[in-house]
Amino acid sequence: MMSSSAIGMGDQGQEERQRFEAEVRRIVAASAAGGVTLRLLGSLAFHAHCPRYGYLQAALGRAYTDLDFGGYVRQAKEVGGILTGLGYREDREVFVVTEGGRAIFEHPGNGLHVDVFYEKLDFCHVIPWQGRLELDSPTLPLAELLLEKMQIVEINEKDVIDTIMLLLEHPLGGGDAETINLDRIAALCAGDWGLWRTATMNLGKVRTLANGYPQLSAQDKAQTAAQVEAALARIEVEPKALAWRLRARVGDRVKWYKDVDEVV
Amino acid sequence: MGKSVRDLMHRGLITCPPDIRLGQVARRLTQAGVHALVVAGPDGQPMGVISDFDLLTGEWLSGTPENLEAMRQMTAGELMSSPPETIEADAPVAEASRRLRAGNLHRLLVTEAGRAVGVISIGDLVANLARPATRRETVADVMSRALVVCRADMPLHAAARAMSERRSRSIVVVSAAGHPLGVVTGWDLLEVCEDDCGDRTVSEIMHPPITIEPTASLREAIDRMIAHHIHRLVVVDLQDPDGMPLGVLSTADIFVEMAGPESVWQAAMN
Repeated sequence: MMSSSAIGMGDQGQEERQRFEAEVRRIVAASAAGGVTLRLLGSLAFHAHCPRYGYLQAALGRAYTDLDFGGYVRQAKEVGGILTGLGYREDREVFVVTEGGRAIFEHPGNGLHVDVFYEKLDFCHVIPWQGRLELDSPTLPLAELLLEKMQIVEINEKDVIDTIMLLLEHPLGGGDAETINLDRIAALCAGDWGLWRTATMNLGKVRTLANGYPQLSAQDKAQTAAQVEAALARIEVEPKALAWRLRARVGDRVKWYKDVDEVV
Repeated sequence: MGKSVRDLMHRGLITCPPDIRLGQVARRLTQAGVHALVVAGPDGQPMGVISDFDLLTGEWLSGTPENLEAMRQMTAGELMSSPPETIEADAPVAEASRRLRAGNLHRLLVTEAGRAVGVISIGDLVANLARPATRRETVADVMSRALVVCRADMPLHAAARAMSERRSRSIVVVSAAGHPLGVVTGWDLLEVCEDDCGDRTVSEIMHPPITIEPTASLREAIDRMIAHHIHRLVVVDLQDPDGMPLGVLSTADIFVEMAGPESVWQAAMN
């Protein structure tokens, strides 16, 4: 199913989009200057990593809503220092309640909202990034960006649009340099049947839904489908762990994902 | 010529139908004293195998009431490994070993002319490795080197359960460092049989261990058992008397050796 949530969809003026993009550049620059590993995720990361196809976000009505980053919890104090230095105020309760998994910052001046996720994305499924943030900049590596979307059980149109952009822009392969690292994706899916179930389901949805966008050319649609096929094939051949095989036998009888409780 | 699978296998199949639930599978495993059942269709044809490890999946995934209910509804046919891995009865034992290791398996269904006739498991191969003692002169020659041990604060009901499950007539009580503190036997447990064990622990009923060194002669050991009227001696390392016991010598070890085909007790009478 695809959620009907309209969050992240709607007309957004160029000026407003540029305001978000400029703020990202300001935070990325400040974190780099401070020696802090902070990587962008979410819609702005897809835009930043897709110079050729990033225009699709605006063309397909994909709007920016907030700024999301991934980091390491060992640098949480430094992250807080950088963002408060840029005028943000942290909601400390979130960091405490999530046991150091997440921090939320609001800027009283510009009204922007920053989410920082530490060590992993932990929504419907867990996408860890220990030792991975150094592989790309200013965003998460492309594999984690793709999984960020593919782990959402009730995937939204905005997530499908971001995924299509990523698949059109980047080749699939076994490394991370401007490549969607399928080895990484396949390994994570082979260790967690639930993630495999959701990710393969969503890849299929992306293939189907891409055909419905008149803004995409026939070539774009064909390329999206080919990328999805290749990703599914690579995930399929990855040797699966015993736990995966046992869990697969139970299948959908038992819920395979976590419900997402929004902090805010 | 080496042994074949036929020589080591358990002939016959312990089966269950595919539509029984996991709780029933657990009961059947317990009742039959096995770790897996062959799931067979109405025609008796094996469809798969459901093992104790498969049942772990039930516990693993039953963390919420909804999931527990879903898993309670699951059947052997839904959770089994299928199709069953098979091997011909004429195959060499080494091939069975290779297949088990390569496939990370615990058992193979044995077939003769395509028909399932038995099961060979890791346990069967392990049993084949066991060698009877070739000498019976010292304690070390015949003692049991694997021990059932527990700490002094083990509840009596848990000790009784461990003895039953492991088919052991005693438990050696050891300190955190492995030093033998005492022995609990079925005899010791008799005194609590008329009451509920409650919260009592093995430390309350254990008796001091009577020890012997591994180099002692079998004759010395038997002398000591008869002198103390006990069924077992704790074998300790004289170089490290505070360390973990080396083993236990029990009356069973003695008569098992007496029963062995090489034993003087089995020699033809003049």
